[in-house]
Amino acid sequence: MTPPGTGATTLQHEPSGRTDPDAVDATLAASGDAHAFERLYRGHLNRVASLVRRMMGDDDADDVIQDVFVRAWQKLGTFRGEAAFGTWLHRLAVNVILGRRETVGIRRKRHVEGDAVLALVPGRRATPEISMDFETAVERLPDGARQVFVLHDVEGYRHEEIARMLGLATGTSKSQLHRARMALRQHLER
Amino acid sequence: MSDLWTDRLSEYLDGELPDDERTELEMHLRHCVSCGAVLADLKRIVARAQGLEDRGPERDLWPAIAARIGAAPRREVRRWSFSLPQLAAAGIALMALSGGAAWLLHPAAMLPLASRPLAPVSAPQPTGQPLDGLRQGDSQAVLAVARQPRGSAAGYDAAVADLERVLEAGRGRLDTTTVRVIERNLATIDRALAQAQRAVAADSANLYLNSHLAETMRQKLELLRQAAALVSSVS
Ligand SMILES: [Zn+2]
Repeated sequence: MTPPGTGATTLQHEPSGRTDPDAVDATLAASGDAHAFERLYRGHLNRVASLVRRMMGDDDADDVIQDVFVRAWQKLGTFRGEAAFGTWLHRLAVNVILGRRETVGIRRKRHVEGDAVLALVPGRRATPEISMDFETAVERLPDGARQVFVLHDVEGYRHEEIARMLGLATGTSKSQLHRARMALRQHLER
Repeated sequence: MSDLWTDRLSEYLDGELPDDERTELEMHLRHCVSCGAVLADLKRIVARAQGLEDRGPERDLWPAIAARIGAAPRREVRRWSFSLPQLAAAGIALMALSGGAAWLLHPAAMLPLASRPLAPVSAPQPTGQPLDGLRQGDSQAVLAVARQPRGSAAGYDAAVADLERVLEAGRGRLDTTTVRVIERNLATIDRALAQAQRAVAADSANLYLNSHLAETMRQKLELLRQAAALVSSVS
């Protein structure tokens, strides 16, 4: 179990003092080597794709994943190696997602429907695909609660960072997180 | 069910409650069964969130990304280029490349050739001439050849000879390491071929030895085809 004060609040992907295995490829890619960049893409694709899907839902995911890597290619020159490449890419991905969210989010019904949608999430119990159900349940959370939940509990960002990124008060980030967790309770197997 | 403290449980779990409130909540938890149950669930949700598995997209997005960043699409480059380890492994790897090619070399009596799947030739013909009439996928021609073991052997010899000519003519265009790797592979296959031929000569009815010989011959032909393709790709 996660004791209070650890786990969820530590950023899981900060460099831990070891050499970044991507550093060489990042340098090559920054000098225009597309093969090196493809290696970086393959290595980080699943993580970026999952982040995008959880933050935005399936509909626009492929487009946004492409946008993330195209932006990364364009911005490689600003990667200085003070954080691991994965961390740098991850932050860039969050920025792309949040930028995109502003244009896409408006047309989302669930954005306005809020809590009403939570009631529609089917709660299944003790099925073999329980983790898939949990993933689906996360994706069906209202935008605000979902984004805070994904950034905090899945990705390990702190409320202060989340509040800054999403343009919220820290207190709002905390209450959204609690709201998301409470909504997800019904998807735990008993 | 829920009380004033229920909504503070996430903050408590995350270690974000001020000391005085944390102490108070811990007192409350000693007797509030409901808050205890919610807290246990919240812990499980956090654990579940941290254990979610990452999954890539359904389709390969790299070609689209490569196009957008102006990288040459890899697939076309890759088609006829061979890394040295690939060439070095050719003796094994080539077996998987063209399973349908054995008809070309196999004594007609040994296998029901008409029922064999005929895979398309996997390497381009280096010139228009030499393999005409032996092109796979043209089942009539294939069967005609297959029914005449001698004609089949002659077709094989001609194809090998022709590919060897292409390779010989173009070897100057390949770097010396590549040439060395190709020659080493050919020498290995030729040794295996001689061995297989001796074995078949000693026991000509042995089905296994015959198909082994055919397979070895096919490998040689395939290696030559790839080497010839390599020559034409750098010309
Ligand atoms: Zn209580």
